[in-house]
Amino acid sequence: MSALVIADRQFQSRLFVGTGKFASASVMAEALRAAGTEMVTVALRRVDIRNPADDMLAAIDRSRYQLLPNTSGARDAAEAIRLARLARAASGIHWIKLEVTPDPYYLLPDGTETLKAAETLVREGFTVLPYIHADPVLAKRLQEVGCAAVMPLASPIGSNQGLRTRDCISIILEQASVPVVVDAGLGAPSHAAEAMEMGADAVLVNTAIATASDPVRMAAAFRQAVEAGRSAYEAGLPPRSTAAQASSPLTGFLRDD
Amino acid sequence: MSWTLKINGMLQSFEPSPELSTLGDLLEHLQIEQTAVVAEVDGQIVLRQDFDKTPLRDGQSIELIRFVGGG
Repeated sequence: MSALVIADRQFQSRLFVGTGKFASASVMAEALRAAGTEMVTVALRRVDIRNPADDMLAAIDRSRYQLLPNTSGARDAAEAIRLARLARAASGIHWIKLEVTPDPYYLLPDGTETLKAAETLVREGFTVLPYIHADPVLAKRLQEVGCAAVMPLASPIGSNQGLRTRDCISIILEQASVPVVVDAGLGAPSHAAEAMEMGADAVLVNTAIATASDPVRMAAAFRQAVEAGRSAYEAGLPPRSTAAQASSPLTGFLRDD
Repeated sequence: MSWTLKINGMLQSFEPSPELSTLGDLLEHLQIEQTAVVAEVDGQIVLRQDFDKTPLRDGQSIELIRFVGGG
């Protein structure tokens, strides 16, 4: 499997893993290991000053995983920019998964605000990976303003519906010159394999792993699916046809006519 | 006279004292581990290494933020 390069970094693993919704920090740490991931997302939130919880970052081995802070919770460009600056101040990391989701029901990203925030953050030296709807025109615009990758959604966040945006993602894949990471809604390893077979550069999975009955085994299953899908893409899938194309010889049948 | 600070959106009253005069003191007072936190004081980001140099003042709005699990 070829390596993935985003901005100045090379990744052997094409499975990015989100760290939300895990039952405990230890299950999360074990699942990250089983996933073989090198990139994990985290969010920023207020400290509960009445009940300061343990430091969740302590469970993530920073020497093994590149942290990708997100701007989840941002409803417009200004809120996303504020979160990105805080994330950089908190971690020293200039990578940011830019997400602007004003609608709490479907959590669909606001493309206009995302583009606005991306322009500012790229100017400020961030490596910006925007979470977007599978909109090929927006993907191009974000690429033009200097985003390091684009992250189109498969279906709404945490919905486990799989690749509902397949046709538009294939247009993005055809046109993009930056890596394309299919994010959100991948609910089963087969969904991830499908995205990788299409030529996605990577996938990001959180809910499907974290909320499985056995998150560690599910993380391993996603790893296998991503590797299988990527290998199939690199091997070159054969063309489809409507009619049958016999696999066995069409001569030498045991009959006279 | 006590001071009122807005911390993460909640109004909190404190008696200022030499032991409780900086942002670093405040975190200690609230039993929040400093290593994991970034702060904003009146909209300005304050880095961890500056917590002990950042004086508290009456009426400040302070945000204490940390990383949590997320996708």
